[in-house]
Amino acid sequence: MDLLPFLLTQCLNALSQAALLFFLGVGLTLIFGIMRIVNFAHGTFYMLGAFLGYSAVRLTGSFWAGLVIGPLIGGAIGAAFEMGLLRRLYRRDESAFLMVTFGLTLVLGEIIRLLWGVNALQVELPNMFAGIVFLFDEPFPTYRLFLAGAGVVVAIAIWQFLERTRLGLLIRATSQNAEMVHALGVDVNLVRTAIFGIGCGLAALGGVLAAPLVTASLGMAGNAIIDAFVIVIIGGMGSFLGSLLAAVLVAFVQVFGNYYFPDFALAAMYMLMLLVLVIRPGGLLGKEA
Amino acid sequence: MTKTHYVSRRTMLKSAVAGAAAASLPAVPRFANAAEPIKIGMPVALTGPLGGIGAQMRTACEFWAKQVNAKGGLLGRPVELIIEDTAGNPATTVRKAQEMVERNGVRLITCIVASNEALATVPKLAEWDTIFVSGDNGDGRLTGESLVPNFFRPNTSGPMGTRAVALWLRDSPMKNFYGIGMDYAWGHNSMDVFEAEAKRAGKNFLGAVFSPTGTKDFATYIAKIRQSGAEGVYLVLAGDDNNAFLSQAKQYRLSDKIQLLTEQVDEMGLNATGDAAIGMIGGSRYPASLDNPVNKAFVAAWQADYKRLPQMFEGDQYQSCMVLQAGIEKAGSIEAAKLRTALEGLALDTVKGHIVMRACDHQAEQPGFIVKVVKREGMEHPMPEVIATYAADRVTPPCNKMVYDN
Repeated sequence: MDLLPFLLTQCLNALSQAALLFFLGVGLTLIFGIMRIVNFAHGTFYMLGAFLGYSAVRLTGSFWAGLVIGPLIGGAIGAAFEMGLLRRLYRRDESAFLMVTFGLTLVLGEIIRLLWGVNALQVELPNMFAGIVFLFDEPFPTYRLFLAGAGVVVAIAIWQFLERTRLGLLIRATSQNAEMVHALGVDVNLVRTAIFGIGCGLAALGGVLAAPLVTASLGMAGNAIIDAFVIVIIGGMGSFLGSLLAAVLVAFVQVFGNYYFPDFALAAMYMLMLLVLVIRPGGLLGKEA
Repeated sequence: MTKTHYVSRRTMLKSAVAGAAAASLPAVPRFANAAEPIKIGMPVALTGPLGGIGAQMRTACEFWAKQVNAKGGLLGRPVELIIEDTAGNPATTVRKAQEMVERNGVRLITCIVASNEALATVPKLAEWDTIFVSGDNGDGRLTGESLVPNFFRPNTSGPMGTRAVALWLRDSPMKNFYGIGMDYAWGHNSMDVFEAEAKRAGKNFLGAVFSPTGTKDFATYIAKIRQSGAEGVYLVLAGDDNNAFLSQAKQYRLSDKIQLLTEQVDEMGLNATGDAAIGMIGGSRYPASLDNPVNKAFVAAWQADYKRLPQMFEGDQYQSCMVLQAGIEKAGSIEAAKLRTALEGLALDTVKGHIVMRACDHQAEQPGFIVKVVKREGMEHPMPEVIATYAADRVTPPCNKMVYDN
């Protein structure tokens, strides 16, 4: 295999993995930016997305239905959780959030086990992207191209949403000074509910998209939450652009690290995190800690 | 934890209900003279990573007990299964087994899932005066250096499974092999065995790569496998990692170029990966498609009850139950000393054909099977189909040994 086609396909592959990491990390970082809480249940929403995707494909026969239903249900559960439970805790200290979101991980995980059973479930690729393209005679699944594209589209959409819409403006304002926004007559609680729902919905979207690669299984949540934390820490807590940058960096380090230094496959991501923390303790684009 | 309590509570409930039923219906005893039941202890991993295998083994035992009881029981006594969840923890297994022996008067044990659980249990068998008939435990040491008189292994052991794959390799026209395994003890051990066998068969082993447990993206590993130029790749992957690898290998069309080989083809993985495993070749302890009268009757009865074919660990555990049954009938007793004598040298026709429980190391001599995953019309999931069978004398290792002479 020549170097050029190899580099090209692996770079594209890294971008597809970056997209999945970005969906996972961006929601967590946005929630932290606005609410100053660490959502421990984020990985579980990712897992929920995968199982919802499975059921949507099973019931409607369409992968695209899952892509709509998964984030909607995930987001709705997230928003309901914020309104029903988290809202009562804002005056408490941070450990309360940790416990409550960790509790949600257990409850939601158990519900998923009861509804879908213990066995891993396969999610078929959508027909349109089930094929393969040859780049200089190197096979590359079109679904991974689609993943990379979806990552770009969603990143631009979130960016435009934050910059151009009124809700985006309120979210940015709340993250800077919640009391001032409240004093100006904006219902800050509603902004918090919206951002928690959006964050959970994005995690679920990542889960739906990841399911054809890894199957929907009960092990997904634990794996995902660690990745999400790493992305948020590298990118800087609360930074949208930081999470995008971190997702791309981590994906490239993982893909090329796995290839050239397979013995350090597991360590590569953490070494990158250590390096970033030494140079910039607040993360790449975060406020200095 | 909750699950453990749940199981034991349910077991208690069951016995309570059974007791109440027996008390309220004294006029219709199913067994003459209200015979004392034959209690079989099953400390089985039903939760945790081994829960899937444990569920198969339990189903097989329950199916067997139901068959036996429908025909009037064993030695005229009903068979009663005492089931407890161990979650795959050796310390829990020993504790639960001890409770069964001391509180329930159990003298027969089967259905322990993991080899480390079995290895922790066997030193206690003499003290308990109890016979343990393995249903799936693979570790070679159980009939080697760790053999105790009260342990019997009717099932295929790990070395026997690898041996069948090795014998198939010798006959295969493929020359060059590569491997991918999970980066912990099992992955490395199995890869070492495969490498040694491949070299002994005169093949080239081009190298192997190990992926950390929990790997989600296998694209770089798939690239490495393609670049190796091998004709066959040996997979030592399990659980979620195996499902992810097979799904992605299919998306990269890996099997168009390279034959996928594995130590053991089990149906649980096939159900989770759909068509991704089609074409894969590997060993099997028990393929449901075996063509012999005992198996045909077993499969037909099983399908009538469960509306599906028996899976690998179900068939292997069922064979162990058959051996236990034949031993008890021959001994006319469940006393350890008598049953031990009866089991040593016992020969019978089971679902895998004619097997012999040899006296020297309590391992059953039985054939080894190589299967290929196929999907025929009308099948919901792909199924393993036998492509090669190796005779018992070639597959079973020398007495007390884990390695083969040639």
